[in-house]
Amino acid sequence: MSEEHFVVIGNGPAGNQAAQTLKEKAPEARVTLISKEREGYYKPCLLPEYMAGKISEDQIYLSTVDAYKEKGIKLRSGQEVVDVKPRRREIVLDHKEVLRFDGLILAVGGRPRIPEPLLVFRDLMMTLKTLEDAKTWIEKISRVDRVLIIGGDLTSLAVTKALIALGKEVYFMLDENAFWPLRCNDDMFQDVSDRLSKRGVKTFYNCKLNSMAQRSEHAVEVRVGDDIFEAGLIGAFFGLVPNVGFLARSGLPLDRGLLVNETLNTGFEGIYATGDCAQVFHPEIRDYWVSIGHDNAKALGRTAALNLLGERRPVDVATESLFDVQGIKVNTSWWMEF
Amino acid sequence: MPKVDITIEVCGMSGDGTIAAGGLLNAAMSEAGFSVLAFDSYPAEIRGFGRCVTRSRIGNEEMLALAEKTHVLISLDDEQSRSRIPFLEKGAAVIFDNKPPSYVGEGHAIPAHVEPDINLFGIPFSDLAAEASGSTRGRNLTALGGFAVIFGLPPEIFRHVIQKKFAPKGEKVLQANLMSFDAGYNFAMTAFEDRLLKILTPPETEEKTEKLLLSGNVAIAQGALDANLKLYFGYPITPATPILEYLAKALPEKGGKVLQMEDEISSIGAVLGCYYAGQRAMTATSGPGFALMTELITHGIMAEIPAVIIDAQRGGPATGLPTKTEQSDLHAAVFGGPGDSPRIVIAPTNVTECYEYTVKSFQLAEKYQTPVIVLTDFFLDNRVENVPMPQASKEALKDGNIYPDPSAKGPYNRFELTESGISPRAVPGMEDFMFTTTGLEHSESGGPNYTPENHMQFSEKRHRKIQGALEDLSIPKEFSKGGSLDVGVISWGSTFGSALEAVQKEQEKGLKVGALKITSLFPFHDEIIRGFMERCGEVLIPELNFQGQLANLIGHLHRKDVVRINQATGKPIPASIILEKIEEVLKA
Ligand SMILES: Cc1cc2nc3c(=O)[nH]c(=O)nc-3n(C[C@H](O)[C@H](O)[C@H](O)COP(=O)(O)OP(=O)(O)OC[C@H]3O[C@@H](n4cnc5c(N)ncnc54)[C@H](O)[C@@H]3O)c2cc1C
Repeated sequence: MSEEHFVVIGNGPAGNQAAQTLKEKAPEARVTLISKEREGYYKPCLLPEYMAGKISEDQIYLSTVDAYKEKGIKLRSGQEVVDVKPRRREIVLDHKEVLRFDGLILAVGGRPRIPEPLLVFRDLMMTLKTLEDAKTWIEKISRVDRVLIIGGDLTSLAVTKALIALGKEVYFMLDENAFWPLRCNDDMFQDVSDRLSKRGVKTFYNCKLNSMAQRSEHAVEVRVGDDIFEAGLIGAFFGLVPNVGFLARSGLPLDRGLLVNETLNTGFEGIYATGDCAQVFHPEIRDYWVSIGHDNAKALGRTAALNLLGERRPVDVATESLFDVQGIKVNTSWWMEF
Repeated sequence: MPKVDITIEVCGMSGDGTIAAGGLLNAAMSEAGFSVLAFDSYPAEIRGFGRCVTRSRIGNEEMLALAEKTHVLISLDDEQSRSRIPFLEKGAAVIFDNKPPSYVGEGHAIPAHVEPDINLFGIPFSDLAAEASGSTRGRNLTALGGFAVIFGLPPEIFRHVIQKKFAPKGEKVLQANLMSFDAGYNFAMTAFEDRLLKILTPPETEEKTEKLLLSGNVAIAQGALDANLKLYFGYPITPATPILEYLAKALPEKGGKVLQMEDEISSIGAVLGCYYAGQRAMTATSGPGFALMTELITHGIMAEIPAVIIDAQRGGPATGLPTKTEQSDLHAAVFGGPGDSPRIVIAPTNVTECYEYTVKSFQLAEKYQTPVIVLTDFFLDNRVENVPMPQASKEALKDGNIYPDPSAKGPYNRFELTESGISPRAVPGMEDFMFTTTGLEHSESGGPNYTPENHMQFSEKRHRKIQGALEDLSIPKEFSKGGSLDVGVISWGSTFGSALEAVQKEQEKGLKVGALKITSLFPFHDEIIRGFMERCGEVLIPELNFQGQLANLIGHLHRKDVVRINQATGKPIPASIILEKIEEVLKA
């Protein structure tokens, strides 16, 4: 096998776009796209609507698994990368298979963030990142009447909308740690709180979560401030953080995410990171920024692919569009109205 | 319970315990109340390595044939299993060892090759088995443990079949296997908690009839045992050897004997000798051995001596394809050998018939004083079906010989010309019934006689006798609502299951299509076959040989050319090929 082998890890918008661009621009090359999820390429933004029963599973997909074959991309779904060896130009899969690559694009996205003080309650809380998560929500939601949402990121608002549509009673505990990826201030909290209340959501704001305890299969007792109540389900929504834990021993530069220069290169020849998992250097502000949002991810995916194929395109982000969240510079293409 | 019809494969290197795992799987599925039709394939050469594959079709209706696509692949060796990927149904489940002893390069692991829609279930077979039992040997059982959970089968069923298989090998072996199974079961229970498919959970209330897992070969051997076989003579040859092996153990326990002869010529010679002396005897062989027997078979025809010969067909000619299936000895069975030598040739189509036809062959041989050839094939011999324990009726077990009247006076004409062609046969030791026997043409007394009239008369006698056997032979069975049919499919042997499955699918669509099963190949019921053909627009004859041997035999009964589906691939003919041809013919 003498043809070049490009591997893309991650089948979100970034990875998907990267793989397609690679195949388009270098049709002779072998392109392998690996994703630990078993489903094809779907739009995570639609998951809340899917949860609400407003759209069917088919409508979430942007590309079915068959489409990859037609495009000449080898999709390996349901397969997890557990290590990358940049010097040897190898990746290791969960089932101990070693893949050699000539070029690699890491587009492993994010994972739900749960702030440190809440980690003890992790098993009592659900998150929503993947289609599988959404299916778990759907399965459980029918058996409960009341749901408590903790946090306050954009997904939490979309999920709240879905829950209201499903006729559930929603309690919402706005957390100051939560408004990832938005700047938050008191005015904003107040605004969100008011909007939620108008929709019949009982909100807790500036309250302390004292405890949570499972009382029965479908009931968790929650103490917030002076209130005690039971919730059938609890959802934690504190934004996403880059999902790079599995790369800890790889030797790739890591901070919050995978550190890359303005051309998305990791410092290793032929190895790029893109989408939500990357932390991109901005030469002007001399600092790194992270990206959030579907459209950003797509654009970054394309840039990474073009650069892997020899271009040296910098990612162009205006400094005004970067804002600070807890000391991290963020650029987001995400918007929504509640 | 919703309709279940799934095909499960276990694939590995010889030494991986592939065949054992497949066997346990079949036993468990049978115990769970499902119908099972299974077929293993293994390398042709007798050496310690090669690919082994077991293929089991499981369902809650009778399984007539193997399916083309696989729904579950249990891979005990990923490199071997790669060859099975083209047969995977969309969305199939692949259960594989995800922690091989060392890292493997791209291409050596099955996940590198499957389509993205495949449901991968990685289970560390070797690690779990080693942890549980101290050795990786039980990794095939660990794989079954995973399979059981994923598909929702109660573990007790598997534990029971494991117990049955391994208890005779001692407590230690049994425990090691049980622990390996449990390790896979427990692992998969947590690892795949949210992905369990649970489509094989047996219904609790349904009453189950006691069923037995039998291969065609074992059914034949058991049929012969139940028919009070006295002596078995044989020479090992694939695929007939398991009959020899089974009888070698079982026949002596019933007071009979098994003799391994130096070759097939002596085997048939001994069978004729034994039957001449009045005792039930049988041999089993395959194409190359059958070729050696033909001269003595015609001796049996000339001297009117009963014999039962199983010809387990395999790919030919000559040594051919020893471990592949074919239905290409039909011409040889019906016509093989010198002279005008009519004999009886019958062919079962499934495991139950393997039993029934073997039992019946003894009576036929005795009554018509002729070698009876039972034609099976590799696929029928080695496939396993779970069937209600077959049992021969008293009537079926009766001595079929027609003896001379002991009170008769005067000289005994062993080959007396009668209307039926059957001359009462004395066996040595019957006082006052001495006779001459020879392979030469003879007169009624048995003495050589070459006159033109005598040869004509005796040729006619032998034919008359064999044609008369039609009254005792199973008549062709039609599967249709009757009336005129657009297409009729006529089939025999192991191919019949596929033919019927294809026909039933068309009938479900409301199409006028029917099937005719022929099990009596010589003599055959030409009037019935012609009657069926007359009602058919087109007649299709699918068979596993290149020439279309059944079509050659009966095709002339149709007013126009029959449509032949001849497959010489060494593999069973799938229903889909027959279905396609039916559709093609219907469109035309
Ligand atoms: C519920 C929800 C709603 C959202 N709504 C919006 C919205 O309205 N608007 C908007 O702009 N954005 C929205 N987003 C955010 C947006 O979806 C993300 O910013 C975007 O998907 C990031 O794309 P990505 O390709 O970088 O990563 P991801 O989409 O996270 O994809 C990561 C991929 O990597 C794979 N992967 C991870 N680790 C491994 C591994 N070790 N081995 C193999 N594969 C691996 C994953 O299986 C996945 O395929 C939403 C996100 C969620 C979860």
